[in-house]
Amino acid sequence: MAIVLDGTTGISAPALTGLIDAANLTGVIAAAQITGALNASGSAPVFTCRAWVNFNGTGTIAIRASGNVSSITDYGVGMYRLNFTTAMPDANYAVIGSPSKPSVSSWVYWAQPRMPSEILAESVVIQTGYVSGTNAGNYNATQDLSDISVAIFR
Amino acid sequence: MSKRIIYKNTDGTVAVIIPADCGLTIEQIAAKDVPTGLPYKIVDVSDIPSDRTERDAWMIDDTELTDGIGGDSNEFN
Repeated sequence: MAIVLDGTTGISAPALTGLIDAANLTGVIAAAQITGALNASGSAPVFTCRAWVNFNGTGTIAIRASGNVSSITDYGVGMYRLNFTTAMPDANYAVIGSPSKPSVSSWVYWAQPRMPSEILAESVVIQTGYVSGTNAGNYNATQDLSDISVAIFR
Repeated sequence: MSKRIIYKNTDGTVAVIIPADCGLTIEQIAAKDVPTGLPYKIVDVSDIPSDRTERDAWMIDDTELTDGIGGDSNEFN
């Protein structure tokens, strides 16, 4: 039966049952095809990012882009909680924090989980700041940063 | 989003939630991401100071937090 478009009676088409059921899809997408599509060579398994966010932590704090993050909670200077839209299976995930330097300098800027007890399946608290070897009397501190990226792997 | 959610932590400090474009409404995000039992208020982003010089000294009157109560998605605050 062909698909028929009729301005009076509408659209008629053959039943799709059996065309796209699980049995017909089995074997269509092989593991090698998935890793190939991801440009992943070799036999090592691929684990994808489960949540990520890029945000401005200064001034009017704003999320530039994100995935599986429902919100950021601003707790104070250099402290932000990432709330996941869909929770992780547990709290044993990897947190990758990467702030950009706000200016050209030899200082080291960091973004990391504040403490183990604040790594939860639903959220994680990130603290940001710097370490300076040149600023006498002010060698390290918590600080708002303008370009913070965090990724979660599990 | 042009909205923010504010609530008071149990230590008296002010928390500000910045919603992401995640498919949830601001009300759904508030119910999910405000800690359990804490009252909150949904405000315009323009109501939040952009000058964070005194960020850790921000205060909010409890009587202003009238838009709802946090749900049970979070285990700490």
